[in-house]
Amino acid sequence: MGALTQRELAPGSDQNQGVWRFSDILADPEIKNRWEKVRQYFFLRESTYDMTNRCNIRCEGCYFYEGDKQFVSENSDLNAWRALMAREKERGITYTVLAGAEPSLVPDRCRVCYQVIPWGAIATNGLKRIPGDVDYQVHISVWGNDATSLRVRNAEHMLERQIANYKGDPRAVFVYTFTRENIQEVHEVMDMLSQNGCRVTFNMFSAPVGYDGPLRHDAESLHHTRRTAMELLERYPEEGLFSHYNIAAHTQPQGLHALYGCSYPRMNASTAVGLGRSFRQYRADLTWDRNAACCVPDTDCEDCRHYAAGSAIVTARLFRHATDPETFKAWLDYVDTYLAVWVRGYEKGKNLLDHLVMPPGHDFSPPDSHTAVRL
Amino acid sequence: MNREKDKTDRILRIAEIMINELKLEDVTPASFDPDMDLVDEVGIDSMDLATVALVLQDEYGIRIDEDDYPKLTTVRLIAEYIEEKLSE
Repeated sequence: MGALTQRELAPGSDQNQGVWRFSDILADPEIKNRWEKVRQYFFLRESTYDMTNRCNIRCEGCYFYEGDKQFVSENSDLNAWRALMAREKERGITYTVLAGAEPSLVPDRCRVCYQVIPWGAIATNGLKRIPGDVDYQVHISVWGNDATSLRVRNAEHMLERQIANYKGDPRAVFVYTFTRENIQEVHEVMDMLSQNGCRVTFNMFSAPVGYDGPLRHDAESLHHTRRTAMELLERYPEEGLFSHYNIAAHTQPQGLHALYGCSYPRMNASTAVGLGRSFRQYRADLTWDRNAACCVPDTDCEDCRHYAAGSAIVTARLFRHATDPETFKAWLDYVDTYLAVWVRGYEKGKNLLDHLVMPPGHDFSPPDSHTAVRL
Repeated sequence: MNREKDKTDRILRIAEIMINELKLEDVTPASFDPDMDLVDEVGIDSMDLATVALVLQDEYGIRIDEDDYPKLTTVRLIAEYIEEKLSE
């Protein structure tokens, strides 16, 4: 497309017919302030690290225990971990995500990572507290109430123990993963977490390759999750770390790749700039494989609606959302949420939008067409 | 002669936008090497590039396709890209 005429550049009274200039979108002080707030964190460049092959529980549908990564020989040499982090820092990585299988079992390795790269997050089941001097954000996975956790994760009194470990801990963000089976019970879990002052974001179960079990979402459960998440957003404006656009982006019949184009190396051949160039997913033996590299390896890409994936994929599509004020507000809400979830000390602002906006280029799926209206 | 001056002016303006938007320090439009690799040598990432592209769109009244980002690896290449778009 070539040069636009002045008429095309000028925002018309009907924004669907006009083309908005970025500077005109930013002329709204509310948008401008949020843009200036979030863009300060554009320096964050992530990679992820499996810290160990061990875990203290076995969950149904766990992505870690799929594929080859679980079988590598674990590197327990702290000097090797320190050297890896130094190399990562040298090549521009500013943010670590410590994940599989259960990082809390190897706190010394987590500490080494934190000492070299001070921005990061740890994904944990929360049953063993990570020492406070490892000052990363801590994401505690919640898959339902205690009865469901016992059935799906084989752990007793899970929520109670998670809260006991992380109540009042400013690092903690509880991550409720909606599966096909646990949507309704989120209300009792949210009540319990909010009563204990815990912050909560939500995740969508994203099936590992080959998984066709009862946790996998279908059209009905996606719709149900959407309605439920919208209720939660109204009911828990303080504790709930998400926005309408998070809900819209993660509850579509299409996964994130179909909606936005996944930017992780596993699905992105380009090494020119961005995640395709910089992102690595290290296994516990400190090796990595570009063909497998994404934040949740061995997830079925068609079914991926994972919150961690979205944080990178949706955020990276800045350009597609800078089309009009409403779409840009949706993107800003999403990025503001992602930063509050992932960055220590970042305070989430009030969401700019109070209604659903669809990902650019997509319409509401028919069963949800009524949700397009303002709440 | 005018065309060369336009090209030089455009390179300086793009460098200025780059410096302002990315808050680059210790460099001026005049000292910004237009052939410096923006990813490898300046250290910009996809978010930086998208930000600059949005501002350039406003500045020159063109549309910069997302798929073209990988081509925009130096200030000089960006200037040539813009020139091409303006001539379409």
